[in-house]
Parts: sequence; structure tokens; C-alpha cells
Amino acid sequence: MRNVELATKSLTIALLGNPNCGKSTVFNQLTGLRQKVGNFPGVTVDKKLGKLALANGQTATLIDLPGTYNLYPTSQDERVVLNILANPKDELYPDAIIYIADVTQLEKHFLLCSQVRDLGIPMVLALNMSDAAAAQNITYDAKAIAKAFDVPTVAISGRMGDNFEALNAEINQLVSKDFTVSKPFYQFSAAEKEISQKIQDTYQLANPFQALLWAQNANKLTFLTSETRSEISGLIKENNFNPLSNQVREVMQRFDRFTPMLKKTIQRTDTNQITLTEKIDDIVTHQVWGPLIFFAFMLIVFQAIYAWSAFPMDMIEAGFASLTETVNTLLPDTWYRSLLTDGIIAGLGGILIFIPQIAILFLLISILEEVGYMARAVFMFDNVMQRFGMNGRSIVALVSSGACAIPAVMSTRTISNWKERLITILVAPFISCSARIPVYTVLIGFVVPSATIWGIFNQQGLAFMGLYIVSIIAALGSAWVFKKILQTEERSFLMLELPEYRMPVFKNVLLNVYEKVKAFVWEAGKVIFVISIVLWLLASYGPSNKMELAEQEAISFATQNNLDADATADLVAGKQIEASYAGHLGKFIEPAIQPLGYDWKIGIALITSFAAREVFIGTMATIYSIGSTDDEGTIRDRMAKEVNPTTGKPTYNFATSLSLLVFYIFAMMCMSTLAVVKRETGGWKWPIIQFFFMTALAYLGAFLVYQVFS
Amino acid sequence: MIELLALEPGKSAIIQSFSDEETACKMMSMGILPGSTVTFIRKAPFGGAIYIKADNQQFAIRNKEAACVMLS
Repeated sequence: MRNVELATKSLTIALLGNPNCGKSTVFNQLTGLRQKVGNFPGVTVDKKLGKLALANGQTATLIDLPGTYNLYPTSQDERVVLNILANPKDELYPDAIIYIADVTQLEKHFLLCSQVRDLGIPMVLALNMSDAAAAQNITYDAKAIAKAFDVPTVAISGRMGDNFEALNAEINQLVSKDFTVSKPFYQFSAAEKEISQKIQDTYQLANPFQALLWAQNANKLTFLTSETRSEISGLIKENNFNPLSNQVREVMQRFDRFTPMLKKTIQRTDTNQITLTEKIDDIVTHQVWGPLIFFAFMLIVFQAIYAWSAFPMDMIEAGFASLTETVNTLLPDTWYRSLLTDGIIAGLGGILIFIPQIAILFLLISILEEVGYMARAVFMFDNVMQRFGMNGRSIVALVSSGACAIPAVMSTRTISNWKERLITILVAPFISCSARIPVYTVLIGFVVPSATIWGIFNQQGLAFMGLYIVSIIAALGSAWVFKKILQTEERSFLMLELPEYRMPVFKNVLLNVYEKVKAFVWEAGKVIFVISIVLWLLASYGPSNKMELAEQEAISFATQNNLDADATADLVAGKQIEASYAGHLGKFIEPAIQPLGYDWKIGIALITSFAAREVFIGTMATIYSIGSTDDEGTIRDRMAKEVNPTTGKPTYNFATSLSLLVFYIFAMMCMSTLAVVKRETGGWKWPIIQFFFMTALAYLGAFLVYQVFS
Repeated sequence: MIELLALEPGKSAIIQSFSDEETACKMMSMGILPGSTVTFIRKAPFGGAIYIKADNQQFAIRNKEAACVMLS
């Protein structure tokens, strides 16, 4: 019967195991580039799928389930595992499981294995890290383990790629022959028998352990209807069943039974030696050296994203500039040329420009993660970040935000507590990123003179530092507020294995970088692309024939005043943006931004800056009819000459400039970040909330500053 | 009987039980079991958590959780 079923339906094979069992390495070995990463429905937990060719010519879907210690979830990714394994109707319910266990820690890794075995899913046990076991003089008898637990067992090394032929052979065996469910390993108590029997009969479940899981986790099973869940809750009450104590009892009994069985098959020279890992940790997690070493690492990460990406970013920019030039010479000056160059090519350039930063951050983070260092960072900073509702891992995201919020937001995926992750995503864009620097550079001169105090400190340099400090305070302060507002049922734990330090597997690192870049380009790229085109439309088109009129006016003014070709073009561009929808929008919002000290020209720059903050500079240049330059000094000189027609005083006075600076620190003016937040939170709700609260804070801050200083 | 949190850094003891079921379930599933020898290695630099070693494996746990581990 089963064979017929298997032959007609595409097979799903799941990889399962504890965290740090080397599961991802095995997955990468088995699938290579034939993998796809997405999200599990409703949650942003990585869903990694791959293809596995079977001996009979079929192709099976291989799924890399999140690492978990048991089937009693306390986090989102553990919940995903439970909801698949407790629901035979789930489309990802595996036809077979490859259970990966670290053979050097086999007793610890065996609990989940024994639970899954009782679900009656065909399973092969892969004893991973055979190379490490050999190095540590651990010997084991795979055949004896297979016999004792009635589970086919192979020893492999994911890192070395050792013995994968044997693993493949076992997988093929598993899916080709009839599978007989062996006797459950766990011995049910009378109370467990009673309640699981009732649940199994009522809902027609395949086996008693699945029924027991339903009883133990009723309110965590999202695939059940609310009626079913309350029916089960009713049964639990009726039977006086305590799910939590029952879990403890079950775990205890399993350990008590399999530990002696495993001890017989494994020999290790039990040493109480201090391992190399502990020696490294004596320094790396030291009370004083630990944080210092961490910040040294972060400095390297920050420096790398910031400095190493400059060259490839310049290359990408130059590439797109020459592409634009080529298109401009090949095509006549028409609307579609403008759409192609100012809309599509500019939009694509705006997406691809982030690739170097994303690639560099994930290269370094993946190495730190692979080596095992990240777990130490979490341990050291857990307490500090907890106060702000975040996780030890959040600190890496916050530091990376100093270069760019996009890779920072993407890096939060490793935070398993949803609330901690969300808060990190929401506040990371406050940290001043590299795109704000040109804006700060132009404006800071209007606020602080370039003088030296006490002989050493440049005042503008100090002001720059001040802007960064304000941004950090904004991030932590709002994190604290979110901590108070957001509610979660998830209890926050920190029970973290600090794995042995290991050399990174570069295949894993490179696949991770590739995956992150691909996800950004495809998922966030779509949104960025659409918004770029909308912004192009706003800046290039105006109501009725106002654009042509503006152009004609500018040209006749230019001929009267004998302007050269460049100056004429700049003047036309300036007049056109004024007549465009963006210009109208700028004028439309003028009453709203007047209390901040801005005129409609700044209004236009605020609107176009939404594409990216640095666009502020280009827009200013266009508005002031010096569009052919992009030199920050020239733009600042021109802005300094700008006079407010009503007061006759300079527009960029102290109050207005400071108010603009404050606005740029706080405001969420980066569509790319919003697009990434949408992807990482699984919908528009959080990016919209983020946009409004950040912009509201920016408005309020700028308003106060302007009102106080004007 | 003392709590793991009350142990001096550098000292070892045997785990007897856990005073909270949810913590117990999680710790046991990770292999921190009654009967295991546990060593309090050091406190986190900014407090709040401790570095422990139980049966040849290192773990980081919060003070709150360490307070649930009873030693004999």
C-alpha cells in the first residue's frame, strides 16, 4: 500500500536535530546550490528547501527544519517543528526523517531522536562529526546503536563529506521498502494512556505519541481549529492532566532509559581536562577582555562594511553612470529615455549598490557564527540588551546599522524570540548610517563653525559625534518604549549551548552570503524598484502643460542672459522640478513644514529623499539649478547664498539647519530599509508603523529645535 | 541544598532537582539533568547571566534560570 502511495506522490524528507548538530552543513552537502530559502507561513523562520535525487529516479524535497531540543516549543522556530511533526496533514509532513546527532554529544542529542521515533515516521540516524569523535578518541558502535533502538544508523562527517554514500543508501532504503513501525520507546503511564487513547480515537490519529503531543501542547498547535483546541483543553481538565509536569516526566524517563543503552555502545576516555574551547573562553568571555575583544571585532565589521564596500560601490555606481550615458547617446531625448535612465536604471542601481555592504556583513557574521563566537557575544551582552527588550544578538545588528540598516535588519533572523527580534528591527534604522553622512556634511557647516576648541577638538567633528550619540539614544530609548508596549506570550529564556570552537565551513559561509544577497535583490528589490518609478513619475511630470511652460521660461531667460549650455540645462531642471508633481507636493506640504523652518524647496528634497537619504544632496543641486555638480562644497556654498524672500535673511540659518539635521537623524527616509523590514516581518504592518513613528519623532524633534532656536 | 546561583565561581556540585517545571523541561532537554555535575565557571561581564559547564558541555543561562537549579 505504502509503496504505491510513495510512487505517486512527491516525497518530502526532513533533516532534524538539535541546534549545533551540524545540520546545515549536511543540508548544504546534500543539496549544494539546489536550495531555496523562504518563510514558513505566518512566521519569518527560515524555510530551507532543497532537492535530493533518489536512486529510483525520483526527486525528493529535502527540508531543513529549525534545530530544536524537544517537541515542547518555547520559541517561534521550535513551534514550526512541532506544528509540522504533529500534523500528518501538513504539506511538509515528512515521509522520512534524517536525524542528525553530534556523536560527541550523543546522549544529549538523543532525546529528540527518541521522540520522533515514537511518531512512527521512517527515520535514519546520522551520527555526525565522526571526524571530531576520532580526534577526541571517542569510539562508538553504529551497528549496536541501530540494533538497540531499531533505527538504521550511519556515521558521517558533514564537514569532511565523509560517508555520504552510506547515508544516501540508507535514505533510499528507507523510502523504497515497507516501513514497519517499531514498538514505541516511551512507556506511557496510565494517565497518559487514557488521555492519548481518547484523543487518538476522537481525531483518528495515527499513533498514541502523536495524541500525547496534542495533549501536551494543545494551545501551541496552530493547525487545529479553536473548537478542537478547546475540546482538547476540556479533556485535559476532565482527566486532571498536567501538561507541564507530564513533559518533565517524559523527558526524565526517556533519558533514564536510553542513557544506559547508549553508554554500552560508546567509549570515551572520560577526562576532566580543560579543553581548548575553555581556554579561549577564559579570555574571550572574560569580565574585562571579553567586551573589549567584542568591540574590536565589531570595529572590524563596521570598518569592513564601511570602507571595504566603498570600492565595489563606486564600481557599481560608475557602471550605472556609464550605462545611463550610453542610453542617453543611443536614444533621442524622449519620455521613455527618461523613464529608462532616471527611473529604471536609477532604480536598479539603487538596489544593486547595497550588495557589497550586505555581502561583507554576512561574510563576517557567518564566519563569527560558524566559529561559535556569536553564542559568546549573546552571553556577554544579554543583560544589557534585555533592559531594552532586545537580545544579545541585537548588538551586532545595531553596530552594523552604523554602516547600513539593510544588512542589519536582515541579520536579526537569528534572534529566535519574536519580540526581541521585532524591537531590534524597529530601532536599528535610528542608528546613523553611512547614507546620512553626506547630508550631515552639508548641513553641519551651517550649525557649527569649523573652529578648534582646546587646541585639539574640531567643533564640527564633535558635532558629528553628537549626532551619532543622539541616534544611539533614540534607538535605545524607543527600544525601551517598545519593550513596555509590545506584549508577548513567549517567555524569554537564555539557555544557550556554547559550542566548541570550530573552523568555519566556507561552503556554509558562502551559501549564506549568496542567499542573503539573493533574498535582498529579489524580495526587497521589487519594492524598491516600484517606488523608484513612482518617485521618477513625481519628479518628471507635472499637472497639465506646466512642465513645458517652465522649460520655455527657463530657456528664454537663459538666452536673454547669455547662459552657457550647462547653466541653461541646470536652470531648466530647476524650473521643471518646481513645476512637477514633486514640486507641487513640496508646496502642498509647506504649511506643515513651516513650523520646522523649511520652505517648499526643502519640502521637495524631503520627498525625494525617501528614495534614499543621500538623494537630498542631488535634489538640492537640482532645485538650486546647479544640477550638473555633485560636489558637496559647491552645494553648500549655493545653499549659504539662499535668502528667505519674506525675512531677507539666509534660509539656512542656525535654527533651520539644526532642525533639518535633527529631522535626518530620526526620519525613516529609506525605502530600501522599509522594503527589507516588510520582508523580515512578513507584511506591511510593521514597516508602516516604523515609518510613522520615526517620522513623527523627526517632526517633533525638528519642531522643538526650530521653535527654541529661531 | 543550595541554588546554582549561590555557588562560588569555579566550584562544582551535583544537580539534584529544578524548582520550576518549564525551566526543568528546557534544561533537561539540553542535557542538564539531575545527577549531572555542574561547574559555575564565570559571571557575564555585565551580569545577568552565568557561564556553566555541565557534563563536558558549556552553557550560558540567565541568573533567573540558574536560581531554579537546586544542588545537593
